[in-house]
Amino acid sequence: MTMRKIVVVGNGIAGLTACDSLRSAGFDGELTVVGAERHQPYSRPALSKALLHAVEENSADGNGDGGLQAHVLPEPTHEATELLGVSATGLDVEARIVRLDGGGELAYDGLVIASGSRAKRLDAAARNTQKKGAAPPQQDGHLRELTLRTIEDAILLKERVASRPSVIVIGGGALGMEVASGCVHVGCEVSLVADVKPLARQLGDHLADIFTSAAIRRGLRVVGGGKARLVDHGAGVKVVLANGTELEADLVVTAIGDEPNTGWLAGSNLLVDGQLRVDSRGRLRPDIVAAGDVASFPTRRGVERVPLWTSAIDQAKIAGVGLLRGDAAPEFNFQPYFWTEAFGLSLKSVGFAPALGAPDYCESGGGADSMLLRWDNADGSGTAAAINYRIPVPKLRRLADAGPAALRAAPARA
Amino acid sequence: MRIHLDRPRCEGHGLCEEAAPRLMHLDDDGELVLDVPDVEGADLDAAKAAVRVCPVAALRLAAA
Repeated sequence: MTMRKIVVVGNGIAGLTACDSLRSAGFDGELTVVGAERHQPYSRPALSKALLHAVEENSADGNGDGGLQAHVLPEPTHEATELLGVSATGLDVEARIVRLDGGGELAYDGLVIASGSRAKRLDAAARNTQKKGAAPPQQDGHLRELTLRTIEDAILLKERVASRPSVIVIGGGALGMEVASGCVHVGCEVSLVADVKPLARQLGDHLADIFTSAAIRRGLRVVGGGKARLVDHGAGVKVVLANGTELEADLVVTAIGDEPNTGWLAGSNLLVDGQLRVDSRGRLRPDIVAAGDVASFPTRRGVERVPLWTSAIDQAKIAGVGLLRGDAAPEFNFQPYFWTEAFGLSLKSVGFAPALGAPDYCESGGGADSMLLRWDNADGSGTAAAINYRIPVPKLRRLADAGPAALRAAPARA
Repeated sequence: MRIHLDRPRCEGHGLCEEAAPRLMHLDDDGELVLDVPDVEGADLDAAKAAVRVCPVAALRLAAA
C-alpha cells in the first residue's frame, strides 16, 4: 500500500535516524515522531563519558545542564511533527492506531517502533518479583539508587558527585566502569560491585584485565560477593551482597543493564516471549518496523538486542527503508562497533565481543597503554580493538575482517 | 550546503568516514580531513548520514 502517514514512536537516536532514513528514501508524506522525553534527541553515550570529567567546569551556562555540551546533536532536518514529552500507551495493529498518554490517538499507514529502553533498577527488580510486568518505576523524592540513562539522570548525578561523596557503583559493564571512572577522577572514594571481573562479560578476559588493572591503579576498589541488594540504613542505604558483605557509601549508582520499553505493546500481539523480534529488514509486519534498543534482531550470533549507538543508527536506517520498500529493501548485516573510556583508557572495538582468550595479534602504538589487538574468533570472524590508539573505524574494520596485512595495504578509497 | 567540523569535539571515531568516504577521511594521525566540504545532490545524503552518526556532534551542515 502507499504510505501517506508514518508514525515514529521514540525520539532517541533510533527514532531520529528512522525519520532521516524515511526522508532520504523518498517518503514525503506526513511524518509524526512521538518522544517520551521533553528534549530533542541527544547523544546518550556522551552522558557517561565527557560528563563526569567536566564536573569541575562552570556549572551554569543557561541551559540548566551545567557544563554539559557533548551530548547535544544537530537540529533535526526531517520536518516531522514532533510530540515531545508524550508517551505511547497502546497500539492497535488492526485499526492502525497508536494511543498516547493524555488520551490522544495517532492513525498511521506505517509505524516505526523505536521506544528504546530504560535503566534497570535494583529496587524495581525487588518489586517485580512480587508484581511481574509492573509499570516502570516512577522516581520519587527518596532515590535509594541513581542510574544513568537520561540527561536528567546525568545532571542529577553530576550535582551529587560535585560534593565528592563516597560512591558505590553496582554493575561491572561499560557504563558502571565509566561512572566509576568519572567519580574517581573528581576525587570520590569509589567501590565498584561486580560479580565477575569488570568488563569480562562484555569484552572478554584480556581486555577486562587491562581495564581492571588501570582502574585499581587509579584507586578503584573492586568488590565481588554475588548479587547485590539495597537495604535502608538509618537516613541512607547500604548494599548487601549475596555472600553477606555489607557496604556503605554516601551515594549508590546502579548500572545493571537496561530493559526495553515494550509495556505499551502488551496488547498488540507483537511481542514473542516479551521480545520485539524483527526480521533482517527491521520488520515485524509489512506496516510495522522496529529499531534501536527496543528491538531484537538477527545477527550472526542469533537474535539479540544490542543497545549501542551505532547499532541503533544502523538498525534505524534499515528499518526506514524496510518499511517503505518491503522485500526490495536491503537486509541488515550487523557490524558491531563499540567504544568506552574509563581510567585513562580509550577503547574502540569492532567485531563480536567478548573476544575469548589472548589476542592473536598485538601491536604497540608507542605511547603508554597504546595498543592494537586482534582476535581470530571460532566462527571465522575477527574482533579488533584499539586502546589509546587513534585509528579510524574503517581501518579497524579492515583489521577485524582481513587481519593485520590489511593495515599495510592501501585503503580502497572511492 | 557546507560541512563544518568542530575540531576540539572530534574524538576520531571515524564513523563519519564510514558513512561518507568520498567526503572525508581520518588521516594517519587520526585527524579528520574534509575532502569535499561543499556538498549537493547525492553527496548531501551522505553528508547528512555522516553528521548524524557522530556521537559527539562534531560535524554540522549549514548553508555554504
